[in-house]
Amino acid sequence: MALNTLEFECKAEAASVRLAAPVHYGVVGSGDLEVILEPRDLEGAVTVKITTPVAGFDAVWRKVLETFVNRAKLADVAIDINDNNASPAVVSMRLQQAFAETAA
Amino acid sequence: MDTLIGQGLVALEMIVDPGSFARDRVGAKEFTDESYGPGAVVGTATLDGQTVTVIASDAEAFNEKFPVVYAGIIGMEEGYKMASAVYATLAADRDAPASAKRPIVLIVDTPGNGPGKVEEIFGMNKATGAYQLALAEARAAGHPIVAAVIGRAISGAFLCHGLQADRIVALDAKFGTMIHVMPLTSVSRIIKKNIEVLEELSKSNPVFAAGPQFFHKLGGVEEVVPEIADLRSVVIRQVAALRVAKAKGEATGPVGRAVLGAARGGRVTRPQVAAKMAAEFAAVADKYRPQSA
Amino acid sequence: MANWSKLQTRSFLESSARDRAIGLVDEGTFTELAGPFDRMSSPHLVALGEAVEFDDGVVTGVGRIGKRPVFVISQEGRFIGGAVGEVGGAKMVTTIDLAIGFADELRAANPKIAPDELPLVAISFETGGVRLHESNAGLLAHAEVMDAFQRARGKVPVVALIGSRIGCFGGMGFVAAATDVIVMSEFGRLGLTGPEVIEEEMGKDEFDASNRALVYRTTGGRHKYIMGDCNFLVDDRIAAFRGQVTELCKLPVGDFEQFRRIGSAALVEKQMRAVALAAEMQPKDAYDVWRRAGNNDPAGLGDAPVDDFRKQAQRLSV
Repeated sequence: MALNTLEFECKAEAASVRLAAPVHYGVVGSGDLEVILEPRDLEGAVTVKITTPVAGFDAVWRKVLETFVNRAKLADVAIDINDNNASPAVVSMRLQQAFAETAA
Repeated sequence: MDTLIGQGLVALEMIVDPGSFARDRVGAKEFTDESYGPGAVVGTATLDGQTVTVIASDAEAFNEKFPVVYAGIIGMEEGYKMASAVYATLAADRDAPASAKRPIVLIVDTPGNGPGKVEEIFGMNKATGAYQLALAEARAAGHPIVAAVIGRAISGAFLCHGLQADRIVALDAKFGTMIHVMPLTSVSRIIKKNIEVLEELSKSNPVFAAGPQFFHKLGGVEEVVPEIADLRSVVIRQVAALRVAKAKGEATGPVGRAVLGAARGGRVTRPQVAAKMAAEFAAVADKYRPQSA
Repeated sequence: MANWSKLQTRSFLESSARDRAIGLVDEGTFTELAGPFDRMSSPHLVALGEAVEFDDGVVTGVGRIGKRPVFVISQEGRFIGGAVGEVGGAKMVTTIDLAIGFADELRAANPKIAPDELPLVAISFETGGVRLHESNAGLLAHAEVMDAFQRARGKVPVVALIGSRIGCFGGMGFVAAATDVIVMSEFGRLGLTGPEVIEEEMGKDEFDASNRALVYRTTGGRHKYIMGDCNFLVDDRIAAFRGQVTELCKLPVGDFEQFRRIGSAALVEKQMRAVALAAEMQPKDAYDVWRRAGNNDPAGLGDAPVDDFRKQAQRLSV
């Protein structure tokens, strides 16, 4: 019954955007999530860790995260997510909002 | 006798010196209105020869003015009556040194706080809050406060009447002692987790299951009393131990129970959080000092 | 991070715990303690397979208003209804302890320190009390917070801010009542027993929990203002709460006793007079008490804009 943890690594095709500082965004409401983006020396890669009560959506998570990382051209970032049943659309939106915070 | 539930007054007489309990009198204060807060019993007794204030719930009383108050429920009148008894205790020993302040014994058997509409309109939360603040003040002033859980110590009512004591002792679960926020069956329904799973988990984690043994492991109860016949001697011993502990400045009350919770391995995250925050604040404290200094 | 100036105009009701905390203190002065990057989430939720939050639903930290260090606790209602567990409870207690310790330290270093250079604690409540997933630890944490308040008496003022969705109920209802000052918006709710539980106890005829107007006039900010249970009723903006706290920051700690509703023998006597009135009146509705306080048109007053309400409302005196 323990929480599920999903961890993987991905690499943007044109990885070039690095973060100056870590950022946290969101609240783990029902159907929502929070995310931390932290700069980390990963030889250009991005690591992802997702903690969620929902099992069995590994492929969906991977797809949503890869799309985000590619669009944002992220490099050398550790992404850490606490999820509570967020839909893929919400996940996408929160990631973009978190990323927008890094520019603010 | 296999339970003391609903028999707070019987328990009271068993704990204090025989025949010594004088109801409705604490120091100079007399509680003359019998219809006021009948669910709360306050008075003065001797315990092994020492003068003590005693506060209990009367499960047989019914408050005619506030009909949600019965079976030991603490209503608005009851909460303020209990608070008054504590302030009267403080006043009685105002000039006594900390080491000579009279003990306060709480006999705990209460299923809840008054849950009504009138209670919400007038603020039930204040009545129970008032009693807790009074107990915390008396504890800090030096009065040794021992709570003896002899029946039900449920959620907010236990917060109100019990959890501000220096030390808490509870009768063993075999006497039907209930200490919880909610029974596990209700927890299971509300958090939507299977009851069998919760029961299994509670064997290794005492944090949500009901019963004195779990609170003991969390440091929320200092001592489990094995037999009803031991109650009196345990309370006497705890009062004596508290005199020593308080003179030494040892942590008692909620802070002491937090220390105990860590020592017993029941609440180990709490001190980690506290240490982390203290370290983080120390690193930035200079920013928050007066700039002129 | 949200733009501080924009936060000021934001609805307090709609704001997250973190935005409320940041917006309450002076721009750029908030340092979060045990923040999300520390990842101190609840081990008990993990064991139950429940979603966790990096800050366990409570934002804690320190900022400044003028010269005053302001220690902030802000509860997040969207995470498990703002319910308090071991970690969140420890964060609350430790914040108050740090404020007390800092006050002691500053006074020891400079006995003549100006009153407005000493710490204050502000708590933005949004909670139903104990988190059932870790109920025993949550209950014990409540007792610790209450004890910390009593230890703070005369050293560090404690201000309650209530104007968020969940309101402030359960054990945290006692805790809020035990603070020095309570500031609410009309959307804030404060009590012990939530509306659903009252309905269950008394029946739908006596109390219909789905009747929002009834719920608000029983525990809402306007009612609590008339009862004297909240000291100040402010607009639903972060700037309004901040403005009230800024005013309070000018006062020395000793002046805060005047705002208290409970916490002394004399105050208990006063509350007993209020309870005697409750017994005598047996009000069917909060508006009965509004009328008794001298408000001849309670319904009109209840519907009036909050500015007019503040000007016209007669508060109960006992």
